[in-house]
Amino acid sequence: MKASLLLLQAGFAVLGAPLVSGFIRKVKNALRMRRGAPLGQPYYNIVKCMAKEEVVSEATSWIFRWTPSIVLGSTLAALMFVPVFSFSLSAPGMGDVLTLFFLFSLGRFFLALAGLDAGSAFGGMGSSREMFIASFVEPVAILSVAVVAGHSASPQGGLMACSMGMSFSGMVAAAALFMVVLAETSRIPVDNQETHLELTMIHEAMLLEYSGPSLAMLETAAHTKQLIWFSLLGAILWPWPVGSSAALSDIAAAAAFFVLKIILCAVIVGLTEVSLAKMRLFRVADFLGLAFLFSVLALVISGLGY
Amino acid sequence: MTIFLLTGIMISTYAMLVCQRVPALIQNFRLQSLFLFLVTLDFAFRQKEAGIFVVAGLLLLVKVVLIPSFLNNLVKKIRVDERLGLFLNPLLSLIAALFLTWGASVFCSWFLGTSPIAVFAAFVVSITVVLVGFFIMVFRMKALTQIVGLLVMENGIFLLASAITGGMPFFVEIAIAFDVFVCAIITGIFMYRINKVFTHIEVHRLTDLKG
Repeated sequence: MKASLLLLQAGFAVLGAPLVSGFIRKVKNALRMRRGAPLGQPYYNIVKCMAKEEVVSEATSWIFRWTPSIVLGSTLAALMFVPVFSFSLSAPGMGDVLTLFFLFSLGRFFLALAGLDAGSAFGGMGSSREMFIASFVEPVAILSVAVVAGHSASPQGGLMACSMGMSFSGMVAAAALFMVVLAETSRIPVDNQETHLELTMIHEAMLLEYSGPSLAMLETAAHTKQLIWFSLLGAILWPWPVGSSAALSDIAAAAAFFVLKIILCAVIVGLTEVSLAKMRLFRVADFLGLAFLFSVLALVISGLGY
Repeated sequence: MTIFLLTGIMISTYAMLVCQRVPALIQNFRLQSLFLFLVTLDFAFRQKEAGIFVVAGLLLLVKVVLIPSFLNNLVKKIRVDERLGLFLNPLLSLIAALFLTWGASVFCSWFLGTSPIAVFAAFVVSITVVLVGFFIMVFRMKALTQIVGLLVMENGIFLLASAITGGMPFFVEIAIAFDVFVCAIITGIFMYRINKVFTHIEVHRLTDLKG
C-alpha cells in the first residue's frame, strides 16, 4: 500500500514537473505583457525530442551515452527523499537529507564529465562554470537544510519539518535555500534558461551536444530536479504537516496543498526572475556568499532556540 | 505571517551590503520600506487602531514613494559616478553584518529572556537594521549613502518602537515621518551643493578640508 502510494506520488511529480516550468514561463510572459508559449510547451518539447533521431559524436566515450540515464536515475531517486505530498510517504530507512544532496552531486558530476566529453569549447565552459557554482551551492544547501532538520530534531528528509511549525531560523534558512534554488534551477541572476548559444549560459552549455531521446531525458531530469527543490523549499517555508497519516483523504488534502505551494513558489521565482538582471559570473560568488551568510545566520538563530 | 515579512526586511537589509551602485542601494531601501509598511499594516490589522493605519499609509507615501524617487532624481541630477565606493568588499561587509546580527540576537535573548518568536524576530531584525544602517554610513564612500544609511537606521528604530512598545503615539509618528522627509530633502540639497563646489561627493576626500 505504502510502496504503491510512493510510486504514485513519484509518478505524479515527474509528470507534473514540466508543467511547473511552463507555468513559470507563463508568469514571466504575463509580467512582460507577452502571450508566450502555451502552458504545455515543455511537454511538446519532450515528445518532439523522443521522436527524433539521436546524433552522437564519434569523439565521445561511454560517459556521454550513459550520462542521461544516470542523471535521470539519480534525480528520480532523489525524489524519494523529499516531502512531496505528505511526510509519511517518503521512503523509510533509506537515507537522509545528505543522500538527497549526494544524488544531486552524482548527476552533476556525470553531466559535467559529459559536457567535457565531446571536446567542444562550449561544453567544457559550461562544465567548469557548473562546478564553480556547485562549490558555492552545496555547502549552503546542506547547511540550511541541516539547520531546519536540526531544529525539528529529525535529519530524515521525508520527515523533516513535520514537527517544526514556523520558526525564525527556518525562515532565514529558507531565504538561503531560495537563492540556492535560483542557482540550481538555472534561473536568472545566475544562469538564463531562455538563451541558447550565448557565452553566459551554464546548464544549457553542457547539454549542447545532446539530441533526441537523451535530450528529452536530461530535460525531464532538469524539470524534476526543479520540482524537488521547490517542494523542499515549500516544506520549509510553509511547514504545515497536512496528512501526516497515510489515510487517503489526508493524502488528497496534502496533494492539493502541495500544488498550492508549488504554484506560490513558481510565482515567486517568476517575479524574481523578471525583476533581476543576469549577474556577471564572478558576481555570483557574492550572490551565493550572501546565501551562505544567511544559512550561517540561521544556524546562529537556531542555536538560540528560535 | 509576521515572520515572513520580517525575514523580508532582513533579506533586503543584507542585500544593501552587496550593492555596488547607488540606484541598487536606493531600490533596496525602497524594498525594505515596502516590507516595513507591510509589517506595520499587519500590526494595524491586529491592533485594530485607526492611527496605525494612517501611520502605515504615511510610511508607504514617504518612504516607499517620495524619498526613493527624490534620491533617484538627485542621482540623475548631480551626475556623479554611480559606484558606491566600498571601503570593505561585499563579502567582508556581509561577514561583519553577520557578527552584528549575532550580537543583536545574543543581546535580545539576554534582554528579553524567552519570548514568542515574532517578538524575538522583530527585536533582532530591528537592531540589525539599525546597525547595518550605521555600517553603511561608515563604510561607503559616497556622501549619498549617508542619507540612505540614516534612513535605514530610522526604519530600524521605527520597527523597534512598533515591535516593543506597540507603536509610538500617533502624533509622534507623523512628526517623525515629516521630519525624515524634510531631513532627506535638506541633505539632498546639501549634497547637490557639495557636488557643485567640490565636483565630487566622496566623504573621505572631504576630510582634507580640515586643514
